Amino acid sequence: MSSTTAFTRRGFLTTSAAVGGAIAASPLLAACGNSAGKGGASTKQGIQAVLPTFKPLANGATPDFPSVSGAGGALTNPGFLKYPTTLPKTVTGKVGSGGTYTGVAPSWNPIPPANNAYYDAVNKALGATFKPQPGNGNTYSTIIPPLIAANKLPDWLQVPGWMVSTFNIGGLVGTKLADLTPYLGGDAVLEYPNLAAIPTGGWQCGVWNNRLYGIPCHTDGMSTAGALFYRKDVLDAKGITPSVKTAADFKALGQELNDPKGGVWAFEDSRVYLYQVFGVPLGGWYLENGKVKSANDHPQLLECLDYCAQLAKAGLVHPDSLAGVSASNPSRFNAGKTLIEGGGLGAWNDGDAKSGIAAKPGYLRQAFPLFSHDGSTPTIGLTGASGWVSYLNKDLSPDQIKECLRIANYFAAPFGSYEYNLINFGVEGVHYTMSPDGPVRTADGSNTAADQIYNFFGSSQQQIYNAGYPDITKATAEWYADTVKYASPVLFRNLNITVPDQYSKVAAGTELDDAATAVARGKQPMSHFQEAVATWKSAGGDALTAWYQTNVVDKGLS
Amino acid sequence: MAVMADGAAVPEETRPETKAPPREREGRDPAPAKRQISLRVRLRRDKSLLIMIVPTMLVLLVFNYLPMFGTISAFEFYDPIYGFFHSNWVGLQNFNQLFGDSAFWHAFQNTLVLSLVQLILYFPIPIALAILLNTVLSTKLRSFIQAVVYLPHFFSWVLVITIFNQMLGGAGLLNQFLRQHHMATWDIMTNGSTFKYLITFQAVWKEAGWGIIVFLAALAAIDPALYESAAVDGAGRWRRMWHITLPGMRGMIILMLVLRLGNALNVGFEQMLIQRQAVGPQHAEVLDTFAYYYGISGNNFGYGAAAGLFKGVISLILIFAANKAAHRLGEDGLYRK
Repeated sequence: MSSTTAFTRRGFLTTSAAVGGAIAASPLLAACGNSAGKGGASTKQGIQAVLPTFKPLANGATPDFPSVSGAGGALTNPGFLKYPTTLPKTVTGKVGSGGTYTGVAPSWNPIPPANNAYYDAVNKALGATFKPQPGNGNTYSTIIPPLIAANKLPDWLQVPGWMVSTFNIGGLVGTKLADLTPYLGGDAVLEYPNLAAIPTGGWQCGVWNNRLYGIPCHTDGMSTAGALFYRKDVLDAKGITPSVKTAADFKALGQELNDPKGGVWAFEDSRVYLYQVFGVPLGGWYLENGKVKSANDHPQLLECLDYCAQLAKAGLVHPDSLAGVSASNPSRFNAGKTLIEGGGLGAWNDGDAKSGIAAKPGYLRQAFPLFSHDGSTPTIGLTGASGWVSYLNKDLSPDQIKECLRIANYFAAPFGSYEYNLINFGVEGVHYTMSPDGPVRTADGSNTAADQIYNFFGSSQQQIYNAGYPDITKATAEWYADTVKYASPVLFRNLNITVPDQYSKVAAGTELDDAATAVARGKQPMSHFQEAVATWKSAGGDALTAWYQTNVVDKGLS
Repeated sequence: MAVMADGAAVPEETRPETKAPPREREGRDPAPAKRQISLRVRLRRDKSLLIMIVPTMLVLLVFNYLPMFGTISAFEFYDPIYGFFHSNWVGLQNFNQLFGDSAFWHAFQNTLVLSLVQLILYFPIPIALAILLNTVLSTKLRSFIQAVVYLPHFFSWVLVITIFNQMLGGAGLLNQFLRQHHMATWDIMTNGSTFKYLITFQAVWKEAGWGIIVFLAALAAIDPALYESAAVDGAGRWRRMWHITLPGMRGMIILMLVLRLGNALNVGFEQMLIQRQAVGPQHAEVLDTFAYYYGISGNNFGYGAAAGLFKGVISLILIFAANKAAHRLGEDGLYRK
């Protein structure tokens, strides 16, 4: 069986590839095989019946920018200008009952020693022995399958969203991974207040075949494909205050900024981030009069590609960007060789500010307010709420599962709480020291606690916080608060769908993405893309669409 | 001058190894005498040689032969979790899909065109370079030139292409110079129609210097006395090259050509992978990148394996054909007939 989730959130690994996949039917398909191989999905009623009740937490730290709810169930992440000075406790009573559990999660840091003071401190607070086993994040997709094949799964496993298909989670739930519905479904979750405060969309990412299996981590209440950013410091210096309301304004601004002779171009190639400007549906599919259609068929897509080609042909896009040269250090945007780029919201943070300021003092990134191509009301697609879901082993006894869930509840303590501080930073004086900008890791803490590995097993809704850069937090929180009004969930959002084997090549849609890229860069005429779509449809695209119609839409999931 | 069976009649142990009669290239054994020696004797005689090749054989076995077993995934919807034995068997379905896939045939066509262009434009260059270098008499100058032309071989493709892009790219040195002097820019790195020449040029820049090594060795084996007597007979520089140098290199040239043909479908995976975005798959998709993008990237391993297997079979046919042609020409090719 090929498993896929309808969302793509490759997070910080390959942002452009992730959003590139947003229009391709679905990049998360494995050519998998077992006796089933027929695919399927949950139903709307089935999902509603198992979702945990959402209950915001009363006793956490108070954010400077509280969550704002908007269209389509979007809920912005709370923003904190400063790290809270008083750290309230959110977990009362006994957590563990002395059990020992292993948890495997990816790590992109040097692997800490198995027994260290940081792990000990957390275990002491838990009253149980939780043994984190970090696996190399870059090879995680090859570390886990042998464990599954050898039936040696750990007690607790983190599955990043873009590996769902590789691990064939659709085939593992129920057979190797525990059904958590009896423990967390409906009001049962209220026993775990921090878990109950995770937005519902996150939980939906853990539902397979109408049962709840996964615990969502790093849940984003308003996950989007991204935004269009500009170099505010450079524009300020030129005395330009951008007022972009339409695609024409955007291009005009680009023409004003473009200076190839000086080695500065207006744009990076931002095709996939312009989709939302032109109203192209993200996520690969959209619904029209109750019929599912491929986003590749959407009329606005052609308009968007044509617009991108115009930018390219007008010489407004950096030649290296058009040549697909993506790696440079510092990035062209950081270095000021391009002034406008599309990117994930993850790029707008303290880390970006640090590398940008290192390239040029005064560096400032700002997102354009949302706009639409013709000046009408814009929309922004809401993508999957959680790209990181953890699963428990089916071999655990009910009591052990309850103990693990109490531990997950501890891990899911919100930002600024006592528990959050402990699991992310360790012990003050040993693993971190407190500065005016919040905790700063010591050498010991950097060696052991930098992974923040516990949050891969359970974590609260994400927050906006940039240590030492409150201005970025303010700008980001304001941008979100403004944008949330226009949020619109993509079709099949937060839905785990298992597509049958024979559609795996069609669903990957590699040739469509290639064709769209070629047209948007002005290398091929529009007909090139139209022909690719026609070929794709006859080679199985239409059949795949019909499959979605019968197995997902007609079952009331749209 | 045909050399008769090289001492096969003589008991092998008594044959002085170092003084084996020289095998001339044209001296194909008219009738390879049936070896009379028993396997046991031969094993004993070649013991040390056999021991010496064991590590290489092991490496070949582990890294070349064992992985061939994975070819089975071309007939499956291969899933790494279920492995080769438990993945769904689909028979020839992957091949059916593959042969009906226009993107695949396009990649195949690109591969052949790029290979042909490289054969014509790249192959003669190391030979010419070797001959030129052979005429340089000063050893110091010669070593210097050799070092300079060998060096790029050790650069990775990423580095080479980055250098090309920094020099010739749309925002590179050349085009920024043209731009600043109000001249039209020259699209080199992203022009699809000239891409085949660009990558050949890159290959020449990077590999031609390294490629001269074998030809220099062939040149060194030519007896200088031949040149001297030819010169005495009044042969000029060109005649000497035509009648001595080139015939002296002929065996090596043909061997390299056979190897090149066997490798014809390998037109440089990394080079294509890195530049596929620049010119688009219309021009840069070759069989290897096709297998990568449609197989590995799309998590569609069986499909990629099918494309790879097809390529392997064609390569095998090519190398046998080329070898046969070499034998027809009276050359050794890969092995002596």
